[in-house]
Amino acid sequence: MSEAPRRSSRLNKNQEEDTKGKVKAVDQDVEMEESATTSTETPKEKVLGAKELEALAIADIKQHFVLFTKSAKTHEARFAIRALRSVSSLRKRLTVAVLARTIASSYGKDDEARKLLLGYLGSEALGSITPEDEVTVTKFETPEVDVYLHLLVMIYLLDQNQHEKGIELSNITVKVVQDLNRRSLDQLAAKVYFYYARFYEVTGRLAEIRPTLLNAQRTATLRRDDDTQSTLINLLLRNYFHYNLYDQADKLVSKTTFPENATNNQLARYMYYLGRIKAIQLDYTESHQSLLQAVRKAPQNNVTAGFQQEANKLLIIVQLLMGEIPERSLFRQPVLRKALIPYFQITQAVRVGDLNKFQETLAAHSATFHADKNYTLILRLRHNVIKTGIRMISLSYSRISLRDVCLKLHLDSEEDAEYIVAKSIRDGVIDATIDHEKGFMRSKENVDIYSTNEPQHAFHQRIAFCLKLHNDSVKAMRFPLKTVNQDAAEVEAARDQERTLVQEIAEADEDMDEDHDEL
Amino acid sequence: MALTDIKTLAQELSKEYNAPNPDLAKCGQYLSKLKIALIELQYLTHEGKHNNIEELTLARDVLEIGAQWSVRTKDIPSFERYMAQLQTYYNDYSELPTSPLKYNLIGLNLLCLLSQNRISDFHTALETIESQELLNNPAIQHPIKLEQSLMEGSYNRVWSSRADVPSKEYLFFIDILMDTIRNEIASCSEKAYSSLPLKDAGTLLFFTNMEDILNFAKERNWKVNPVEQKAYFHSDADERISIPANQIIKQTMFYARDMDRIV
Repeated sequence: MSEAPRRSSRLNKNQEEDTKGKVKAVDQDVEMEESATTSTETPKEKVLGAKELEALAIADIKQHFVLFTKSAKTHEARFAIRALRSVSSLRKRLTVAVLARTIASSYGKDDEARKLLLGYLGSEALGSITPEDEVTVTKFETPEVDVYLHLLVMIYLLDQNQHEKGIELSNITVKVVQDLNRRSLDQLAAKVYFYYARFYEVTGRLAEIRPTLLNAQRTATLRRDDDTQSTLINLLLRNYFHYNLYDQADKLVSKTTFPENATNNQLARYMYYLGRIKAIQLDYTESHQSLLQAVRKAPQNNVTAGFQQEANKLLIIVQLLMGEIPERSLFRQPVLRKALIPYFQITQAVRVGDLNKFQETLAAHSATFHADKNYTLILRLRHNVIKTGIRMISLSYSRISLRDVCLKLHLDSEEDAEYIVAKSIRDGVIDATIDHEKGFMRSKENVDIYSTNEPQHAFHQRIAFCLKLHNDSVKAMRFPLKTVNQDAAEVEAARDQERTLVQEIAEADEDMDEDHDEL
Repeated sequence: MALTDIKTLAQELSKEYNAPNPDLAKCGQYLSKLKIALIELQYLTHEGKHNNIEELTLARDVLEIGAQWSVRTKDIPSFERYMAQLQTYYNDYSELPTSPLKYNLIGLNLLCLLSQNRISDFHTALETIESQELLNNPAIQHPIKLEQSLMEGSYNRVWSSRADVPSKEYLFFIDILMDTIRNEIASCSEKAYSSLPLKDAGTLLFFTNMEDILNFAKERNWKVNPVEQKAYFHSDADERISIPANQIIKQTMFYARDMDRIV
């Protein structure tokens, strides 16, 4: 019993870190103009006092308000995305005072929302409001700002471990978002749902919100709201995984399409979940592909260490199950090294085909494997160990008695060995024959792989991959619309100039002619 | 039908079923009556909210007997239906006391999946079981060990596992499994041996009398040489490797089209 909650809280932290990392690291896309709102402040912070820090944070939030309003007016999601991206850096600086003062200066005195939000912040909040905040009330027209403030208070409550309050507030906010039904809210809504699910997860009540999430998912799909859709699918999968309901998770995956335009981080998570489902269903090739994508798409920094570790652990097992040995360098990476030690030992056992060592490692680290929910997957490796063992024997001996095979692999009996060898021959693990009467196994000579269709196949796979990469990158190119218009205008202007020039020259000529005539 | 009637009916059913020589046809009649009654009370559709533990337990017990009864009458689809309905009672009603039959039935379900060679479903079902039970419960351990031996190819152990089944209902599925295994062994042998003495083939396939072996050999198209008492398997030497012309043409056209686009 005590095992389960500890594990989940650890995983949660990973997931959390993953989110924080995502906002920062990815999306260095085509933001050409004004990109230096948050980054320049970092060095200054150390010098400044608490008061100034507070003021800076408030200024930042206000700046976000402007972005949200702009986003709502211009129907351009990227402004909102930019504001949300800097939430993670803002998160560390959120204090009661910052929030209370922002709220005070954004709502009228008798506003319902103001009372509500301040109520959640506690009694401290009222004390920190300065009179000047209330004088300079700038009311914002758009509901985005309102939802954003709700979101900030939610994040604050989460950081302060005030889960019960958080659940209440998140319920209210989710309701608000659903009632408003504005497309410009999509990005914010995704965040709101994320924290909503988070509160329920921390309090261990995930099962309760499943219907709400499913409903919201349906609505998001109908509205083609990619951000919310991708977030919700991941939340639902996470929800199912929490209770080991892989069957349901699989059904969800097969009934939904993950939006193509989802952010890299949501995609990475989705791929990880997909990889796990497929691994459990023994579809290792598919699982391997998904996990590889998950590992590659996830931002490579220390913040996402948890996600990288989890994904890599699973990837190692799946690779082993496929009969491949993961690269040694993977286990040396500083972020992964420590977490992967048990997996490294398992890999070694599989590589050598040593059944005893495998059992020992399994027994020694069984608690870790259970905590990672990988135990049943690792159990399946047992027969891979045997397979590798048989392959090694078949490679080194051209003829070996079944008794020796049995001794080398630590099997129960000679009959067992005979069945196992026969099965490996059928499955194509080794190329050999058994002589039953004399009780030995004879290996056939190696076939030249270049006389088969195998190279052609591998070649095709690589070319197809390169071509797909090319096509995808062409598709992904984005051209700034404005400059195109500008260019066109410029060309037009230049042409005009040219035309007038030509005209002038012509006129000048005519004049000259006339002059000539007159002369 | 009122609740009290259902209760008496359920009691009659369990009395009949647990009798030394239960009348299975009679049990079936009871069960279909009970199912209709439960549907009327919405216990099987889960539309209303039910919080009465006693009633929930009653519904669950009926379904459990139903599942076991299906195994006895060798009706696999019916067994799967009962199991699907029971899942809700096992997973979603946490306030319900754990049934003593729960793991036995889950184990049976695992074995049922295994006997139909639905390995991926088997593993998905395995994940929903708590790790404590996974390691220690004999009813669960049995199918797990069985699956492991099957994957490895230690068919000997599968055969001997017949002796230590957790309950007699397991035997039904293991017998189905034996047929699957025989075919597995046969297909392995065809690849692994060029010829095999009939007597040894009999031991490998767990047959005891010659007639069964000969019938089986006929089924699998083995050439039996009656003089030598040996079975010969067709070798795959005469298999020819064809050039996948069509596929290569398709691939090349695909490259040409894409190259054209790039240039």
